[in-house]
Amino acid sequence: MLVRGTGSYIVIALLGTFGVAVGFVGAIGGVMTLVSALASKREEHHRRAITWVFIMASGCVLAVTAMEIGLLRDDFSMQYVAANSTRATPLLYKIATLWGALEGSLLLWAFVLSVYVTAVAISFRRRIEDRLVAWALLTMLLICVFFFGLLVGPADPFGTLSIAPIDGDGLNPLLRNHPLMAIHPVMLYLGYVGFTVPFGFAVAALVTGRLGEGWLVLTRIWTLIAWVSLTVGILLGAWWSYEVLGWGGYWAWDPVENASFLPWLTGTAFVHSVIVQERRGMLRVWNLSLLLVTFALTIFGTFLTRSGVIDSVHEFSASSLGPLLLAFFALILVVSVALVGWRGDQLRSPGSIDSPLSREGAFLANNLLFTLFAFIVLLGTVFPLIVEAINGDQLAVGRPYFDRMLLPIGVALLLVMGVAPTLTWRSTAGSVVGTRALVPAAVGAATMVLALLFGAEGLGPVLGIGLGGFVIGSSARHLVLAVVRNGWSGVTGRSGGGMVAHIGVSLLAFGFIASTSFSEEAEFQLRPGDRGSVAGHQIMFVDIVDEMDGPNRVVRARINVEGRGIYSPTITQYPTFGRPIATPSVATSFIDDVYLSLVAIPEEDSDMVVIRVLVEPLVAWIWVGGAVIAGGTLLAIVPGRRHARADLEEVGL
Amino acid sequence: MKQRHWISWFCVALVSSLALVASSIADDPPATDGERAYEIKATTLCPVCDGQNVLESNAPVAAAIRAQVDELVSEGRSDEEIRGWMARQYGKDVNANPPRTGIASLVWIAPVFVAVASAAFLVFAFRKWRVGRGAQLSDDDLKIVSSLREPT
Repeated sequence: MLVRGTGSYIVIALLGTFGVAVGFVGAIGGVMTLVSALASKREEHHRRAITWVFIMASGCVLAVTAMEIGLLRDDFSMQYVAANSTRATPLLYKIATLWGALEGSLLLWAFVLSVYVTAVAISFRRRIEDRLVAWALLTMLLICVFFFGLLVGPADPFGTLSIAPIDGDGLNPLLRNHPLMAIHPVMLYLGYVGFTVPFGFAVAALVTGRLGEGWLVLTRIWTLIAWVSLTVGILLGAWWSYEVLGWGGYWAWDPVENASFLPWLTGTAFVHSVIVQERRGMLRVWNLSLLLVTFALTIFGTFLTRSGVIDSVHEFSASSLGPLLLAFFALILVVSVALVGWRGDQLRSPGSIDSPLSREGAFLANNLLFTLFAFIVLLGTVFPLIVEAINGDQLAVGRPYFDRMLLPIGVALLLVMGVAPTLTWRSTAGSVVGTRALVPAAVGAATMVLALLFGAEGLGPVLGIGLGGFVIGSSARHLVLAVVRNGWSGVTGRSGGGMVAHIGVSLLAFGFIASTSFSEEAEFQLRPGDRGSVAGHQIMFVDIVDEMDGPNRVVRARINVEGRGIYSPTITQYPTFGRPIATPSVATSFIDDVYLSLVAIPEEDSDMVVIRVLVEPLVAWIWVGGAVIAGGTLLAIVPGRRHARADLEEVGL
Repeated sequence: MKQRHWISWFCVALVSSLALVASSIADDPPATDGERAYEIKATTLCPVCDGQNVLESNAPVAAAIRAQVDELVSEGRSDEEIRGWMARQYGKDVNANPPRTGIASLVWIAPVFVAVASAAFLVFAFRKWRVGRGAQLSDDDLKIVSSLREPT
């Protein structure tokens, strides 16, 4: 095939470069406008920054469009396209290649950031003269300057090649064999980048000294959107790894997974403790710090994953941006600490906590547990680096460590989650808890008995399942009472939506506990017609299909899982990638998953295959639980009247 | 609390304890060779594949290590011997479980220390909070809050 139209397409790369430059200039223009307006106290000039935001956003849209056109039209004169796409790549993956490698993923970051900043500019346009809003917008625009700066200089996605290759190299095959690849990174970035908005308002509150609850109310919905996107993004990543990597797990404590988990942990602590501040005006320093830390951790995570300092499955996008990202992270930390230190004396809370046995007490316990959780994840992730720096020793911190340290915290979190809805604000009499927690506790006990009947064993797993039942009982009780009092609006608002989300967490916990504790595994060497049996499931090897799909050799073993149908685990040999890639096939049901993978490409002139079969109970509950959590969070966001009656009247329940 | 609550709680506690006891008495036979080998493979990282353990990885070296573990286990070597052998052969960082001695023990100790320290801080804070003094809400803040609270 001839090189198609290199000369005419170079214009696309130019358009992209132009778009990035416009974005950069827009961000700088916005910053300068706001700085001069704030310095000269001309509130009427704040509005001009909105124009700059629009300019920045249009530049970014232009750049993203140029990149997508380049990808879709196989313009291999563009370096990024040549390195990461091929002619044979299916349409969906061509689109998704935008975020398949470093430069493109930074472009996506800038794009999502532009969308958020534009949304903020539009929704606050009537209050732009407020210095708080102006400072928040200024902070966000400064972050835009940094990311567009990366795109203009060190991570330019629109470099061109003087001689376009006939075909590109294509992405790492792991990144182009499942449609989740198209959604997971986008959701994750919506979450990661979304925390920029509350961060901006937190900085603005500190700078302007308006440290009351006003800024929190303003950012509540933004925080929840970022949080739910991050939650869904992480779970989609887990699902992707379950469906693609072939070992039957969904979480490996890989540094990159941890990097996305860390801001989630501190963000989760924040969405809980902020309720105490909105309600009682307490924990101001703490909440601000949590937000600042959450945002700093998103940058730190990007540093970990983009600098190549840590070995990881995700290292397909390592680069030399490390020092820049580390410097930006350090800057954020220094500014945050300085601001909190400067305003520290004004952050004293007017309220006080009267009793540990109260709603406030439960939120504090939640925060203690979540920050401890985050600390352990952070420590385990960076510890090998620390040790290597100190004495040059190479060591690894893996799953056994995280399991041992974190499972007890998880159990404690379930306990708090179950008790909290039975508590009232300020203080609760023990007898009240005794009355309210009785039915939930009975549900928990019944769940344990049920689990034993289904063959569960082991103290830890059964206790976890029982606590999950307790949480469901406690949350359902709260919801039922709210619905009786307030009608269906009882399931909305912070309290109703939160309870729904907690039920989702319990479902997820059931799936996690059952699939990790009660899975069974076997490896079979089978000839066509041979049978095997694992955990009550009969499988039969039907035949093998060995065919070429374009340049790739695809070997499929067709296996009949009794009662579920034919499933085909696959191994693909890509010509541009050394090691063959195995893709599992999963027979899913709500009771258990039968997870089939082909261990190796069968030898020539042999009809024997080696099949690994893993039976994992309740895995599907993890994904269902995630959906329920997302639904609950949306219920908490949805009511336009931010303080529906259910929200204000939760005391009496 | 009413008396029937006490009775109900007693029943719930009884059932729960019985369930938990039943869950843990399922007699645990000594680990079979297969289970031991599985445990070692699950906690040995594949040296070439960035964080995956040898059980999960389909890299050739992972397959080789799996075979070695099976062989060493069937020869009757102890877990420690096998892990030591793996560490000498492939480097200390194939063991996913950080050691509990030397500087590495910090990774185990630090979280416990932080947990105790922050719990102690909270207890201290509880006492101090009772005599809390406060910052004032600015008028602007109150305005924002009340405008948002008013049902429109």
